[in-house]
Amino acid sequence: CKSRFEKLRASTDVAKKYQEAIRLYNKKDYSKALVLFDDLVQRYRGRAESEDLYYYYAYTNYKLKDYLSARYHFKTFADTYPSSPKAEECRFLAAYCYYLESPNYSLDQDNTYKAIEALQLFINLYPKSERVAEASKLIADLRDKLERKSFENAKLFLDIGDYQAAVIAFRNSAKDFPDTKYAEEMEYLTIKAQYLYAKNSLETKQEDRYNEAIDEYERFIERYPKSAFAKEALDLKEASLKGIEQTKATLAAYGYKNKETEEDEQ
Amino acid sequence: FSQQLPTLRSSSSSQSQHEDLDYLNPKEYVIGGININGVEYLDKSVLITISKLQVGERILVPGDATSDAVKNLWAQGLFDDVALLINRTSNDTVYFDLNLAERPRVSKIVLKGLSKSETSDIQEKLSNQKGKIVNENLKNTVNSIITKHFADKGYLYTTVNINAIKDTADANSRIVNVTVDKKNKVKVHAINFDGNKDFSDARLKKFMKKTHEQAWYKVFGSGKFMRDKYEEDKEKLIAKMREKGYRDAEILDDSVYRYNDKSVNIDIKLNEGHKYYFGNVTFAGNAKYPSTLLHQILKIEKGEVYSEAKLEKTLRSSPSSNDVSSLYLNDGYLTFNADPVQTRIYNDTVDLEIRIYEGPQYTINKVILKGNELTNDRVVLREIRTRPGQKFSKDMLVRSQRQIVQLGNFDEQKIDIKPIPNPADGTVDIQYTVVEKPSDQIELSGGFGGGRVIGTLGLTFNNFSARNLFNLKAYKPLPKGDGQKLSIRGQTNGKYYQSYSFSFSEPWFGGKKPIYFGISAFTSLQSNGLSNSNPNLQKIRLNGLTFSLGKQLKWPDDYFRIDYAANLQQFKLRNYRGYLFENGDSYDLSLSQVLSRNSVDAPIFPTSGSNIKFTVQATLPYSSFNGKNYNNLSTSDKYKFAEYHKWKFESQFFQKIYGKLILKAQAQFGFLGYYSKDVGQAPFGRFKLGGDGLQGFDFLQGSEVIGLRGYSNNSVVPEGAPTSAGSPIFNKYVLELRHPVTLGESATVFVLAFAEGGNTWNKFSEFNPFNVKRSVGVGARIFLPIFGLLGIDYGYGFDAIPGQPDANKGQFHFSIAQQLGGFN
Repeated sequence: CKSRFEKLRASTDVAKKYQEAIRLYNKKDYSKALVLFDDLVQRYRGRAESEDLYYYYAYTNYKLKDYLSARYHFKTFADTYPSSPKAEECRFLAAYCYYLESPNYSLDQDNTYKAIEALQLFINLYPKSERVAEASKLIADLRDKLERKSFENAKLFLDIGDYQAAVIAFRNSAKDFPDTKYAEEMEYLTIKAQYLYAKNSLETKQEDRYNEAIDEYERFIERYPKSAFAKEALDLKEASLKGIEQTKATLAAYGYKNKETEEDEQ
Repeated sequence: FSQQLPTLRSSSSSQSQHEDLDYLNPKEYVIGGININGVEYLDKSVLITISKLQVGERILVPGDATSDAVKNLWAQGLFDDVALLINRTSNDTVYFDLNLAERPRVSKIVLKGLSKSETSDIQEKLSNQKGKIVNENLKNTVNSIITKHFADKGYLYTTVNINAIKDTADANSRIVNVTVDKKNKVKVHAINFDGNKDFSDARLKKFMKKTHEQAWYKVFGSGKFMRDKYEEDKEKLIAKMREKGYRDAEILDDSVYRYNDKSVNIDIKLNEGHKYYFGNVTFAGNAKYPSTLLHQILKIEKGEVYSEAKLEKTLRSSPSSNDVSSLYLNDGYLTFNADPVQTRIYNDTVDLEIRIYEGPQYTINKVILKGNELTNDRVVLREIRTRPGQKFSKDMLVRSQRQIVQLGNFDEQKIDIKPIPNPADGTVDIQYTVVEKPSDQIELSGGFGGGRVIGTLGLTFNNFSARNLFNLKAYKPLPKGDGQKLSIRGQTNGKYYQSYSFSFSEPWFGGKKPIYFGISAFTSLQSNGLSNSNPNLQKIRLNGLTFSLGKQLKWPDDYFRIDYAANLQQFKLRNYRGYLFENGDSYDLSLSQVLSRNSVDAPIFPTSGSNIKFTVQATLPYSSFNGKNYNNLSTSDKYKFAEYHKWKFESQFFQKIYGKLILKAQAQFGFLGYYSKDVGQAPFGRFKLGGDGLQGFDFLQGSEVIGLRGYSNNSVVPEGAPTSAGSPIFNKYVLELRHPVTLGESATVFVLAFAEGGNTWNKFSEFNPFNVKRSVGVGARIFLPIFGLLGIDYGYGFDAIPGQPDANKGQFHFSIAQQLGGFN
């Protein structure tokens, strides 16, 4: 024997279905409501009730945490009924669904980029909306995530001992996010990576690379004279100077002369 | 004024009431009203909303708003015709007529005359026709989808009959009845060639791999005609002729025509041309490498048969990257290009100049990862061999891809690597796009063993994240993404047999170096089910704990790795009959070292590479320092601390033979030695050879089970030895041919044929590597991501085992492998 719900689901009385779907929605029985809405949305296409119906439909998906479907339906609503009083809300929620689907910084950030884009579009479309402030805050959150990703992935190269890669990645990150909150730490780590890169190089290449580390230090200390990393940075500079002396001595002991290396390079 | 304007027309009655519409000079009007005609079922006010024309709004006529209104309504797919007309205008107000032709929609498509599976295939292809309006266009679309579907399968004469009837259950809709008669599958009666002199008809027919003439003796590929295969074959035919030096070969004309109801004839008219040879080959534009080196790689001699395929291979695409392009592409020359130009053709000789564009040497700038929806960046990035600051290298790209595949979390067919060059500063970004695949395995089974039902529950998580164990937010449904592996397994049939095990491993211990760390523990029990106080209780319990550490080596090459493990095992025996001793506790504390090299290209279905493993495992020589006289010790005292040294060598090779056919060659050898003659060989860690290779209860004795198909489980023992104890020496050889059935994402299936041999010995002095028990057979493997690798084999063992009449001859073997890439 079929339950009342199953009977209703199979029936063709759309008006009754509509009423029941709204009742279920208000009772927060979203998964049952969705079953009915799925069917009704098709049948009500081109009728007066379809605007309200579609709004409920999108919200049902949202409440069920199916943000993928919800954002699609919110967007469709906003595109189909641009003059509806609910269009602004739906446009915002469509973007917000992307925001909710943006994962941890260490995973693929496709949805983060899409969320930023959708929120920016919302701000452009409704510059006077009271949701603009929230949208801006969400964008800031998302940008933060991208900065952290860039920083952590550069730091990974330092951790696994690929110092050359670390130097390049830190510089790229600083270039991509000029006002990142990691800027200071990142520039300090660039000195560290450059120092370690020099230290682990062939003797003949060490001098140039140590000098590069010293240059990095000078730039760093000029920009952040009171940095919390100032002491460690200075230690790295001094270690670099010492490294240059050492490598010169080693090369001399093996019969290398500075002139010869210069000639080689030329 | 034109009646023919595509979107905006004025109704004829009002023609005289207003001025001409002019697309060049649109006029601004206020919409005074919109009247909809021709709609019976749909809501008019909604249609006006959809049209986005609003009464009172000021618009240009004609203009974007009017054409958009028509477009928007069309987009609903509800109408057969949409026309926006001007009813009348007064001053600056316009009144529109919207004439719509509402049509019934498709509620259901019913297929007749087809089998169940054909019906569901076609229904799927037709699924987006539902809800569309019923008109001639729909009928034509349905017709062509169905006829094309069957033409692709070789049914060229399919007829489709369509009629629509009213759907009583739903207003304004139609049920579309489609009757399909697919007729006979069409075969090829004859292929006729015209214009060939040097190539015989038979030879040309051989070049066409998928299109054959029908013949009673051809069981496979029996001459069905498939249009797409035929098109491919025409290209193959010409490619083959050109490969043989006939560089002018081309198809002038071809036709496929009806021979009878069941078959077609094919006529192909060829221009064969004549045979050409290579003349002088020169290089131009190369600065980095001298021409002499490039000639050595190109391997084309003057007077050789002219073959573009060969030239292409050594210039660009040799499988072992031993070609001119690879030389450059592995040294940073990303935009390298080589263009062979035919500078002179005289008689039958072609002179070539290979024009080389070297371009700049590119350095890698960024490494970008996309598509990792579950796995954390660093798990993948740390495996990637192309790092910022290195020169671009094609080989390193390929190597990185292999490393990513070996993580096991991504679909190996869908890994995409794209270099994005930035010529302005000579750098290149490398973008890796991956697609996650389910990598967790669950094993839930009820089996039959030892005359009783055994239940097993096993869970393996291949992408576990231990640090998120207490972070509830990361549960989806378990903490994931750090590439660690956790597995838990329990097996029991009640009080007779219980086994529980746990293991955890982290491939990058400490996160800085690829040092593998693993810990595993287990406890197992087998008994006759009596209580502990009962003197008739028979029982063996085994507890074990293993720590292991391993790392990849850089020398001799970085396919090598070394692993160390410390194992502690405790055996507790009570009245355990038929074994080397019956009562007592025994401890086995050993250290092992494994040196291995694994370069196989895929874990499930390898097509190339090798896997070699050398293992040494040893305990302390207790007998040499504990001062006991082993000659008169009881067995339980003698085996209190097991002592042995064990050596194993295992190797396997995979090689592509032809097409997708793969050869697997494998050899294994194992030896369990002792320190003191008085103590003799240890009771544990012995080898059991024969059968499916599945670990049954044998691990309770610390035994290693090695499969040998065509013989029953554990049956291959030296003459007179008991099968329950295992042997100290074994060897085994396998030759296996494998062919894939499907290498899809949801399942990997392949079939195989094998010949193998193996044997066991009691003493090294009796060992003879060529005296093996032989078998041949066939089998199949299916890999389902969640179940692991399931196998079935039928083997026939040729050599009788003395004392065991049923051990050889025809044997079926079923196997389940949770671990991939082993030696079974």
